[in-house]
Amino acid sequence: MKRVNAVVIGAGAGGGIVAKELSTAGLSVVMMERGKWYTPHDCRKDDLRNQRTTVLGNAFGPEDEGNPRVWVDPKGTVHTALPSEGSYQNNAACVGGGTLSYGAQAWRYMPQDFRMRSTYGAPAGSSLEDWPISYDDLEPFYDKAEYEIGISGDYSGTPFKGPRRRELPMPPLAPNREFGILESAAKRLGLHPFHIPMARNTVPYNGRGPCMRCRWCCGFACEVDAKNGSQNTVIPVALATGNCELRTECMVTEILTDDRGRARGISYIDGDGHRQEQLSDIVVVSSAAIESARLLLNSKSRLFPNGLGNRYDQVGRHLQGHHYTGATGYFDFDTYDDVGPGASIAICDYNHGTPGLCGGGMLANEFIRLPIHMVDKVPNGTPRWGLGHKQAMRAYHKRSVVIMGPTQQIPTATGRVTVDPAVKDKWGLPVARFEGNVHPHTYDIGEIQAKRAEAWLKEAGAVTTNLMSYRSEMVSAGQHQAGTCRMGDDPHGSVVTKNCQIHDVDNVFVIDGSVHVNNGGFNPALTIMAVAYYASDALIRNWKGTGFKS
Amino acid sequence: MLNRREFMATSALAGAAVAAGCKAGSRTWYRFLSEHDVGSLTAICDQIIPADEFPSASQACVLTYIDLQLTRHYRRHQQAYLGGLEQANLLSRKEFGVELAAASPQQQFAIAQAVEKQNPRFFDLVRSHTMQGYYGSPRHGGNRDAVSWRMLGLDEPPVRGRAQYDFTAGRKP
Amino acid sequence: MRRFLFMGVIALCSLALLAVGGTYGANLYYATGHGTNCADCHEMADNVGVVHASRHRNAGCTDCHEASLATKLRHIRVHLTGSAPESIRLREADVQQMMGNCQKCHRQEYAGWHAGPHSATYSEIFANAAHNQKRRLMDDCFRCHGMYFDGAVRDVVQPQNTTGPWHLTRPKMADQATIPCQACHWIHREGSPETKPAERISVAGAAVHESVGFYDRREQMHFGAAMLTIPALYDGARVLKVSPDQRQALCYQCHAPRQPEAMSIAATNHWEPQAGSGDDRTPMGVHEGLSCLSCHNGHNESAQASCATCHPAMSHCGLQVEKMDTTFASKASQHNIHWVKCTDCHRHGVPQVKRSVMAAGQ
Repeated sequence: MKRVNAVVIGAGAGGGIVAKELSTAGLSVVMMERGKWYTPHDCRKDDLRNQRTTVLGNAFGPEDEGNPRVWVDPKGTVHTALPSEGSYQNNAACVGGGTLSYGAQAWRYMPQDFRMRSTYGAPAGSSLEDWPISYDDLEPFYDKAEYEIGISGDYSGTPFKGPRRRELPMPPLAPNREFGILESAAKRLGLHPFHIPMARNTVPYNGRGPCMRCRWCCGFACEVDAKNGSQNTVIPVALATGNCELRTECMVTEILTDDRGRARGISYIDGDGHRQEQLSDIVVVSSAAIESARLLLNSKSRLFPNGLGNRYDQVGRHLQGHHYTGATGYFDFDTYDDVGPGASIAICDYNHGTPGLCGGGMLANEFIRLPIHMVDKVPNGTPRWGLGHKQAMRAYHKRSVVIMGPTQQIPTATGRVTVDPAVKDKWGLPVARFEGNVHPHTYDIGEIQAKRAEAWLKEAGAVTTNLMSYRSEMVSAGQHQAGTCRMGDDPHGSVVTKNCQIHDVDNVFVIDGSVHVNNGGFNPALTIMAVAYYASDALIRNWKGTGFKS
Repeated sequence: MLNRREFMATSALAGAAVAAGCKAGSRTWYRFLSEHDVGSLTAICDQIIPADEFPSASQACVLTYIDLQLTRHYRRHQQAYLGGLEQANLLSRKEFGVELAAASPQQQFAIAQAVEKQNPRFFDLVRSHTMQGYYGSPRHGGNRDAVSWRMLGLDEPPVRGRAQYDFTAGRKP
Repeated sequence: MRRFLFMGVIALCSLALLAVGGTYGANLYYATGHGTNCADCHEMADNVGVVHASRHRNAGCTDCHEASLATKLRHIRVHLTGSAPESIRLREADVQQMMGNCQKCHRQEYAGWHAGPHSATYSEIFANAAHNQKRRLMDDCFRCHGMYFDGAVRDVVQPQNTTGPWHLTRPKMADQATIPCQACHWIHREGSPETKPAERISVAGAAVHESVGFYDRREQMHFGAAMLTIPALYDGARVLKVSPDQRQALCYQCHAPRQPEAMSIAATNHWEPQAGSGDDRTPMGVHEGLSCLSCHNGHNESAQASCATCHPAMSHCGLQVEKMDTTFASKASQHNIHWVKCTDCHRHGVPQVKRSVMAAGQ
């Protein structure tokens, strides 16, 4: 196969942008994706089979057969997880990655999120660190992401934000009923509610129409293509340059290295089951925190016996997602208007600045609630089944509001991804294995966040509330997975440089959520995108023909 | 939207259609469950979601859903179902001297409670599958005519004009 | 050499025999059990069960469903190779082909449909320059135009932009109907498509045939008109009188009002759809409260002839009712039948003498 300048592994939030940036800069690019390229027609909005409710499987991959993972509980018992189970920590496997089916909240992290250790100090047992780059370094690329991907919203209501060079390209959607109920309540509490930034067209943008406000958003592909992900923004641009080729249903098995310890390409298994090699000048790993770590760990060779970039046993550590807590409020009037996407209002008052807490998180109302979601969201004290449950479903489906948010997770070195010594997937590759737990301080923060959500709901008129707060026995990663190939200046405590280049292999890059040092108290997609623009920019600046200046 | 009374009338109609849909024809249409299993499972499912002015689980074709999924995504639960139903029948015979399907609603309620205590894994399976069949999308075989969504006050399909996403709508580019 | 030839001939003959035998076998198989055999393996028990109780119960499966030689051979092949799918459903090709079979019995309805706007073809809908310049093509178009189409809008028409020129990617689709019979008729359900002219003039609350239903493309199933929503509608802040005729709920699925503009008074106050928005044709003014089917028969949408049901040929104002420009589309017309109000012409109120005539007429 023809040698190319760059192979990008994974066509998600990070990989799509890298492919677009490199191919428009004139580099030849091959993008590898293990999943399929779905059209909106394929999704059919199935409430029992999507990326959020997976009782009948994942709509956008991976499928349950042949893709197991393993997790170890605190007692040391080993469990196998199917992709449709929560313990699998799934994101997606398709062109667009998580951005095909995400709810599309598109947050900038706050300046403090990039210097967590300097702000708070590291709690005992944690690996809390500062990013090697600052909010200001990333700001131009946040802006670029907001305009190229297409973000709507209105930050003007909140003082809790980093400086911005200009407004978002699109206005927010008209408020839904929950927005009206929650906005006045938040203001009465002295909070600063505002419109959630969303990667969703609210006016025609990028040649596609706006949201039709249907019931089916988070977990589904958008029927009218109004939700912006890499599959309908940057990837089509990359392909249109003629410099980029996208190979779907191809599983990359290994990054190949030469005798001098540099990468020479990849080995993969194509859709027909044939083993192939693609040689390249550089390799960009953008497979999301779990699979990126797994690929590096599976790329063992004489010079890299513990896996690529893993000289100091850092690959896979500091795995983090978000600890979601909040509350459900039950009202004596209708709060639900069946107008999507549902999530509309947020506050950032509690992200930072609470004495005794290392950070916090954004709180927002939940995406639209499908009936199946309501089954276990009835008020406390409702029978689990029988007439009482049925009546509660009827009484509260249109009279309940959920507020919750991603509590910023305190990372640990022991919460990690390794590769399992025994279990293999359908391609014969060792699967990802999760060890460790979430740092307990994360749960402390989460509990307080839940009470804050409850207070907001009560102010809005909730008659009763359910708190949603818990302490888990496993790592947290899921769709917000991050942290496994930490960015840093010190090779002993990180995997990649601030330009996302692996410390001791200068032509391998990790560009996705893996490099996040902390994951912020926000949905991470826009930051993954901004980092991808930032790293691509550095990569292109340092590119010298078929190699790098060192 | 319909007012309450009209809504009830519509729902009653829906209920009638549902009953006709599930029991159409003179033979058993189930793939995995036997006629006996269907009787026992109906008893349990209809305790989990009983009929009131809206259909019960079985009237909304929840059994069609469960039966279908037991041959597909829930193949791995087949043995749990067979064992669990057998156990439930055993209990019913012991306590009341009749098969579960033939027991009175009060007796069936007591058995469902006992099964929940004695075999929580099976009961939780049946409970979640019943909820999925009843509150999930009709395409999977249950929730006939989206009757549960209508019960919750959701239109299906929703009435939605195309100008909902008119190109000229919105404030500023 | 001759031996090989002989063997070849034998093989060919046996293949042909198998094909002929197989197709006759297939015929026999289709006919016995009236579909129950098929339902033993394929996920179609509901459909089979329901048709047995419907007015089409005396029709054999192959009276409506495609059973050409090619289809039979395909059925034989997939059954022999064990590749028959568990779930089978009608493809668009099947639905298109079936329409000819509908026509065999329902000639009048077919002719009416064919003459009316609901028989619009793919080329009329998707290669319409005037439309495509204004609105971008999107998959959601299929919700009402081409609900049986199996694919994305880019599979129908190219280029996907607002400059054109547009062409259908599959030329044979040009003359195919976007809204086939099965879009609104649930053939297997009890009852039958409307046949008697007398039933077409609706009174509010008229029985809704089970067979009238909306085919929802996403669920890939019909929803009976009896269960569909007739939205509550507002004209400004005023609640509009809407006929409770459930049959028209089907019309609202495509000719739908929408939520009011954001932050408008309507939105703040009641969050209900407003009349006159979207593709809504709800009657207001003098015809407020009438069912769609009071004037439109379900097949040929022309409503001109229906005026005579209530009005004399010459109106009270001396206008020839059937010559008026009554269409919704005609913006210049004073007689847009959906919205015309008495006061549109009688700015100072209805003259006394006419009012008494009108009262006597009722």
